[in-house]
Amino acid sequence: MEETLKSFDFLKSLRRMDWVKLILMTIASLSIVIVLLIALFTISESIPAFSSLGLDLLLGDRWAPYYGRYGAAPLVYGSLIVVFGAVLIAVPLGVLSAISLAEYMPRKLGEVVKPMIELLAAIPSIIYGFLGMVFIAPAITKLFGISLGRTALTGSIVLSMMITPTIVSISSEVISSVPREYRMAAIALGATKWQVIRGVVIPTALPGIAASILLAFGRAVGETVAVLMSCGCVAKIPSPPWNLLDPVHTLTAAIALDMGEVAMGSMHYHVLFGLGVILFVITFSVNTAAWLLMRRAPRRLIKV
Amino acid sequence: MRRLDEKLIPVLLSTPVAVLILCLLWIVVSIGGEGIQALNWSLLTSSVLEGGIFESMVGTLYMLGGAVALATPLGVATAVYLVEYAAESRLNHLIIQAVNNLAGVPSIIFGLFGYAFFCRFLGLGVSLLSGWLTLVCMILPIIVSGSVEAISMVPTSFREAALALGAPKWRVVKDVVLPAAAPGLATSVILGVGRVAGETAAILFTSSVYLMRGLPSTVLEPVMTLTYHLFVLLVATPGGMTGKPFAMALLLLGLVVSLNVLAYIIRVYYRRRW
Amino acid sequence: MDPKIEVRELNVWYGNHHVLKDLSIKIPERRVLAIIGPSGCGKSTLLMTLNRMIELVEGARVEGRCLLDGVDIYNPGIPLTELRRRVGMVFQKPNPLPKSIYENVAYGPKVHGVKDRRKLDEIVENCLKVVGLWDEVKDRLNKSAFELSVGQQQRLCIARALAVKPEVLLMDEPCSALDPMNTRIIEKLICSLGRELTVVVVTHNIQQAARVSDFTAFIYLGRLVEYGPTDRLFESPVNRLTRDYISGEFG
Repeated sequence: MEETLKSFDFLKSLRRMDWVKLILMTIASLSIVIVLLIALFTISESIPAFSSLGLDLLLGDRWAPYYGRYGAAPLVYGSLIVVFGAVLIAVPLGVLSAISLAEYMPRKLGEVVKPMIELLAAIPSIIYGFLGMVFIAPAITKLFGISLGRTALTGSIVLSMMITPTIVSISSEVISSVPREYRMAAIALGATKWQVIRGVVIPTALPGIAASILLAFGRAVGETVAVLMSCGCVAKIPSPPWNLLDPVHTLTAAIALDMGEVAMGSMHYHVLFGLGVILFVITFSVNTAAWLLMRRAPRRLIKV
Repeated sequence: MRRLDEKLIPVLLSTPVAVLILCLLWIVVSIGGEGIQALNWSLLTSSVLEGGIFESMVGTLYMLGGAVALATPLGVATAVYLVEYAAESRLNHLIIQAVNNLAGVPSIIFGLFGYAFFCRFLGLGVSLLSGWLTLVCMILPIIVSGSVEAISMVPTSFREAALALGAPKWRVVKDVVLPAAAPGLATSVILGVGRVAGETAAILFTSSVYLMRGLPSTVLEPVMTLTYHLFVLLVATPGGMTGKPFAMALLLLGLVVSLNVLAYIIRVYYRRRW
Repeated sequence: MDPKIEVRELNVWYGNHHVLKDLSIKIPERRVLAIIGPSGCGKSTLLMTLNRMIELVEGARVEGRCLLDGVDIYNPGIPLTELRRRVGMVFQKPNPLPKSIYENVAYGPKVHGVKDRRKLDEIVENCLKVVGLWDEVKDRLNKSAFELSVGQQQRLCIARALAVKPEVLLMDEPCSALDPMNTRIIEKLICSLGRELTVVVVTHNIQQAARVSDFTAFIYLGRLVEYGPTDRLFESPVNRLTRDYISGEFG
């Protein structure tokens, strides 16, 4: 009797095993698998390039793939200078807008304005590239009296429009979540609103603001089409190096332009994956840093 | 001095906001102005081979449809698992981390990966299917994080009510949690659609071609899309700055903007129902 | 007569917090048992252990036995869904599902396999009649349950619980969010339900316990202090703590 009862229990427990949970768990684990596959395939396709070129791939100063010269330094430099330019524009624009939205703007107005700013980030990069090519580049030509309008600066301007919303939307959220008690102490001492913001709110929100800037940076480094179309694609370190009015080439643009034409399995092909790895390392470290900073700000765990 | 402070600073601070709004308006006006003139029925309905954009428009819809149809169940299921099933576990943390990482991967890397894995390793070639799978990887984090938020907003009392009636967990999820979270889920899917609609880099070498005869008849054939077509038109064709690119850009812009506005409306309309 | 539910040496912890201590109680069938005690004494916890809703509380740990008709409900072979059908629950705050009035009542039977539309209609009508809601809502059964007043919502929740034909009904301070009129309706309802099924009602309102229950249990700091027929317990409490609590000296 006892025995039959037990085997009955066993069958029952088998039937009641949570199949739904098992299936959901499998699907959810897919994200982990995808991340691993991305790392695996990008890295493994780049190994031939790294093993035969070594550090020259990263530090070599000449990018002329059709002549067998695969030095990515001009591309890395190009990516960085365009992005730095963009961040330089986006930070004041974004942080000040965030303060305005979170602290000064009436709530009703903010609820309309913020989504409009966020819309800027949703506009496809091809449209930004288009604008860069058709409107901004000619304006640069005229403004600075140079012959070619597609420069690092052009790319920076285009990128800044794309990444400012990231700074605005995250920073304003972080600023609004600074606890009321923090402000109260300063207000009780007779500080003006601006003094409270400068002395209490901004310092408290600083890690979050910094994180938003890093995320914007990460997004800018990975941006492809808009940059490709607006900064000229000349793989040379500008002279002098801080000259934003020279055309540059970037990691992303080089991958996008060359990938369609390389011979499968050639060195050039593997080098492009090598560029992908370099790009991945940059964005991954920037994003991780942002994520670590973000954990110090009072926000929810999962939100990108 | 103090007075001045309190009056001047709000005005000064609203300048950058105004600049950003002006940027948005400038984009809409500069694309829309010429685009609307170039946009006409015959452009939309005539074949690419005859100078129209019909196939690339339909191709974009193919792209959207497939990628979203695949990514939605995966993303929502992941979110259900994270919120409803996985207690604080190691796996849960790993999944959240993976989703966060995916969200930060540049789209060109998805393109590289898609080419190496789907097109070559799995032998799917440059095809609609490869494009779908690549885009699924790309929009999965958007759908997951949006759905996680939507599902977390469903009040615990709903779940308790159904569980106390003796409903098994999966029925609680299906009958109560998902319907209650539906507007939020829809929002996240719409944002995913918007992202796919405007994507270029990820499909550059996984699924798109500049010119082909007609639409793909199987998922293993490549496809023309608005973004890729526009990209090639702009990059490779010198002096192509007449009406057609503007019309295509306007279509893309209109699609993406209306999707985002739709998502916004849903979010506002269903906010704080309980 | 055998008790409907018998709790033996029950201990419950939330993390390190020991909430119920060696609690034993026999709950008679087809009677109303009121559980009283100051807030935080563990009365809601006791209620939640009786249909294992306690397992939804993170970090909760249950030891001891809890027999329903002589079978331990914490036995791993017990199907949770069937247990919760037999032991229904009404919550402190009305928690209608985000569905129509009709669907709220029909949901339970549907989950447990009733498909026939006419049968469902019948169940819905009966249950709404029992809680005195039928006349108020029969013309708007397809309207959202959230359109009802709070008191009506709570009665709807009771109807919903009754729709799966439970043998035991657990009620966690069912009137604490309600106005006097709805409170009176629900108290009457509890009295009449007590003739059909076993009702366990947690309340911090001593008068309410006196009005609705056949038996009363007084819990203090996680222990069962006194338990007996309501009349006896209110007229001549044995324990000094019980006497003080009933006379309103603390709580």
